[in-house]
Amino acid sequence: MRLWVIGAILSRAAWRGFRGSGVTAWVSVVTISVALFLVGAFSLVVVNMEGMLDRFAEDLTVTAYLEDDLTPEQASDLAKTILAVGVIEYVAVVDKEEALERFRRMTGGAALLEGIADNPLPASLEMRLNPEDRSLEGFSVLEEAVVDLPGIAELRHGREWIDGYARVASLIRVSGYAVAVVLSLATLLIVANTIQLGLYARRDELDILDLVGASRTFMRTPFLLEGTLQGMLGGGLAAGLLWLCFLVLLPSLEYGLTFLLGQTEPRFFGFAEILRLVLGGALLGLVGSMAALLNRRS
Amino acid sequence: MFHVSKSYLPGTWALQDVSLEVGRGQFIFITGQSGAGKTTLLKLLFAAERPNEGQILVLGRNIARLQGRAVPALRRRVGVVFQDFKLLSHRTVEENVGFALDVVGTPRREARSRVFNTLRQVGLQHRRYHHPMSLSGGEQQRVAIARALVGEPEILLADEPTGNLDPGLSVEIIELMMAAANRGTTVIVATHDIALVERYRMRTLNLEGGRLTEVDLEGGGR
Repeated sequence: MRLWVIGAILSRAAWRGFRGSGVTAWVSVVTISVALFLVGAFSLVVVNMEGMLDRFAEDLTVTAYLEDDLTPEQASDLAKTILAVGVIEYVAVVDKEEALERFRRMTGGAALLEGIADNPLPASLEMRLNPEDRSLEGFSVLEEAVVDLPGIAELRHGREWIDGYARVASLIRVSGYAVAVVLSLATLLIVANTIQLGLYARRDELDILDLVGASRTFMRTPFLLEGTLQGMLGGGLAAGLLWLCFLVLLPSLEYGLTFLLGQTEPRFFGFAEILRLVLGGALLGLVGSMAALLNRRS
Repeated sequence: MFHVSKSYLPGTWALQDVSLEVGRGQFIFITGQSGAGKTTLLKLLFAAERPNEGQILVLGRNIARLQGRAVPALRRRVGVVFQDFKLLSHRTVEENVGFALDVVGTPRREARSRVFNTLRQVGLQHRRYHHPMSLSGGEQQRVAIARALVGEPEILLADEPTGNLDPGLSVEIIELMMAAANRGTTVIVATHDIALVERYRMRTLNLEGGRLTEVDLEGGGR
């Protein structure tokens, strides 16, 4: 009961402090929101690129072309051997006739093949990776196991393409981290400064609290709550701005996004990601106010 | 206090070999010129300063050895009043007095009731929603006394509580403190107002050059 009462007293003090700080507190909130907005924008791009990467991997089949002298039984044995590697969920033998039929369907007729007596297309094995192995590592395992098997002429997959795309996504992610670190440090300094100003403005109040027997925790907690509140508001504002930009700017960025994401529909953050943004802001605010209090102590 | 000395600068003593014993519920005056060491003596009693030498026992606790985290608990049992009132101008009278109850987590309803009763003791219950700046000097000091008394402290320390007040108001303030002493609170008032001391003829000690001596007031003491 007493803990609740003290919690209510401290929350009231924090709210009063936030209102009392006026413009200074809002400068801090806006700074946090700008920092988190930029970090959020980077995250949004990465999240969408990673989503696309996942979908690529889902659709991607690996094709192993077979040597011409392989019998259907040998091809079937080869399929069984590859299935035993454990990273693929599906393997199918496509014989020379089926390959030719597919080619005819794809080209819309047989004009190209007229005049050619023998079927020039090779038989192949079509494989799809297990969902949990649809990664560059999964591709590597399959490649190592398959490429040197007798009867395999060539292995074809979209690994190079995915590799390049993943590198871009990774570069954006790393840049995002770097931006996040720099902006977080700048934000921490601003929050710490705001709280310092609050401490200075309320020094009389702190003196009186000290006089009437307030513990150090009792005196500090409102400032920590105030910093956390500033951070949460900043995080919320950043999420709101991101959503607004997502809605407003999406139509005009359609061409660029099609280039980046292909046919994948761009998506906004889910609840958990928005919550992370707001909690990230709260953490920034909390750490900033802790820094201010430690500085005062020193 | 047993043979207490306090120095802020090497070679100069704010208090020198001071010994003092005050019983529960006593009312005493500490007199002396400005700079005689009155404020230092009071600060030692509520652990705002530590002695260089000697021991100080307040409510069973040794101030010289008191750890920092134990200080708040001691201060909740000691009310302090200053010459400059130390009230927050942007808070109401009720909020100023309620500070002392907030720090111990007193529920709001109970706190308001206790603040009201204490303000009634000092005759300011009708001013509880006013801000200090709209009150007279005497009223502000009564608010400060209410803040010091609302937590029902065992000791009340007052540093020149009438320093900013005219003689009529000074009497009012001392009467309030005497009433607290009558309810069992030990009251120590530091003042340089000799007329006030002579009017009440209570136990009086004089500080001069950091040394404390008992003053023999004819018919005084309690």
